[in-house]
Amino acid sequence: MSHRHSIFCILPPHMLDQVAQSGTPAQREMAARTLATSTQIRDKRVNLSAALTRGSIAAAGTAQRIVYDAKFGTNLPGVVARKEGDAPVADVAVNEAYDGSGATFDLFSVAFGRNSIDNNGMDLKSTVHYSKGYDNAFWDGQQMVYGDGDEDLSESERLFNRFTKSLDVIGHELTHGVTQYEANLVYKNQQGALNESISDIFGSLVKQYERNQTADAADWIIGEGLFTANVNGVGIRSMRAPGTAYNDPVLGKDPQPAHMKDYLTTSQDNGGVHINSGIINHAFYVTAIEIGGYAWAKAGQIWYKALTEKLNSNSNFQNAADLTFLTAGEIFGLGSLEQLAVKTGWTEVGITVDGTPIPPTEGDGCLKGLMKSLGFAR
Amino acid sequence: MMQIIFERAGGFMGRKVSLELNLADLPADQARTLKLLVDESNFINLTDPPPKDSAPDGFTYSITVKTETIRHTINASDTNLPDALRPLLDELVKRSRSH
Repeated sequence: MSHRHSIFCILPPHMLDQVAQSGTPAQREMAARTLATSTQIRDKRVNLSAALTRGSIAAAGTAQRIVYDAKFGTNLPGVVARKEGDAPVADVAVNEAYDGSGATFDLFSVAFGRNSIDNNGMDLKSTVHYSKGYDNAFWDGQQMVYGDGDEDLSESERLFNRFTKSLDVIGHELTHGVTQYEANLVYKNQQGALNESISDIFGSLVKQYERNQTADAADWIIGEGLFTANVNGVGIRSMRAPGTAYNDPVLGKDPQPAHMKDYLTTSQDNGGVHINSGIINHAFYVTAIEIGGYAWAKAGQIWYKALTEKLNSNSNFQNAADLTFLTAGEIFGLGSLEQLAVKTGWTEVGITVDGTPIPPTEGDGCLKGLMKSLGFAR
Repeated sequence: MMQIIFERAGGFMGRKVSLELNLADLPADQARTLKLLVDESNFINLTDPPPKDSAPDGFTYSITVKTETIRHTINASDTNLPDALRPLLDELVKRSRSH
């Protein structure tokens, strides 16, 4: 475990007041700005917690859910099986896709104020029963697509269940749509792994929100429930401990790294986008645990703002580190617990953020760091 | 005698699955079925489909058919796979997933 920065170093308001009154003009201005920001952040937190009550898709926007059935063929979207407002049907995969896309819409709406995939009320389209023996799910640029796993094999041979079974998979696919409309990260190499990780992050947050779990209570497993009992594994990926989700005679071992020193350079899988995403996933996990509470409220907010306002199609891991650090400073204040938690997350996976942190470098005391930040000390 | 080399990559799990079939080593009826699927897809005259933006989490497929005189490979994905190739692909996918 690497060194963790102190998170208890908060500038006492009385000290800021004093600086605001008796410092040099530049110091006074800085102190006044810091005081104002702190007040804004407090207000924001109050507003945020008030907004964090369960919303419903009908009340929150115009987006309609439509679930189609491909009937084990590959023509998309297939025939309509259930649409917004319809009662549940007999087909469990249809209902899972319907409920899961609703839960995903709710998280984005309630926690981040987003109106569907495109932030403009886009319908949420899903197709289930895609192809035969299709142990996968994907986002085709317009809609979500789910296979039934190994339904065509004998029970003793089956490794995968239907892919709608896991709520975080639904959140993952839908988030690919959000990313497409925002940073639009290239689906290759580090950019692609970042794209993948953003889908894992928000996919996991959908599940945590649905279960009303705080960061320390969540399992941080991606694809929980996808494996049949024939597989030795808890899911496809672990954000808490990348590389440990499964270890199976047939499927092999979870290949995800949790640190830059184990970054995999490969031509497979668009440059290992589903492998190296473990590094970013783990950085997010550490940040969320450091901050505590509901992961979507702060860590999620930082990443949502970075995704929608800072990252672009060519952003790599280092850019993601720098920009989430910057974003955390903008939302919660320079040197805030939240900003330091972002830095700690990246440090744990071997990435150093490029920013001027407050409190300062090791060796300086808490007070000295604060004085430095206000220009009293060097 | 014909040889078929199949590879599936990408997907939600990012796990590669591959398969190499020597038709001479298979039971005669299975070899016949595979040969028929290759012929009916008009495999050796197919070309790679035009590239499409990769669908996140979609599979990519590579099928190579080798005989004494010919070696031909088609690369495709879930979103651009030629219809003619679907029956052959379904068979290869199923074989690669059985164990």
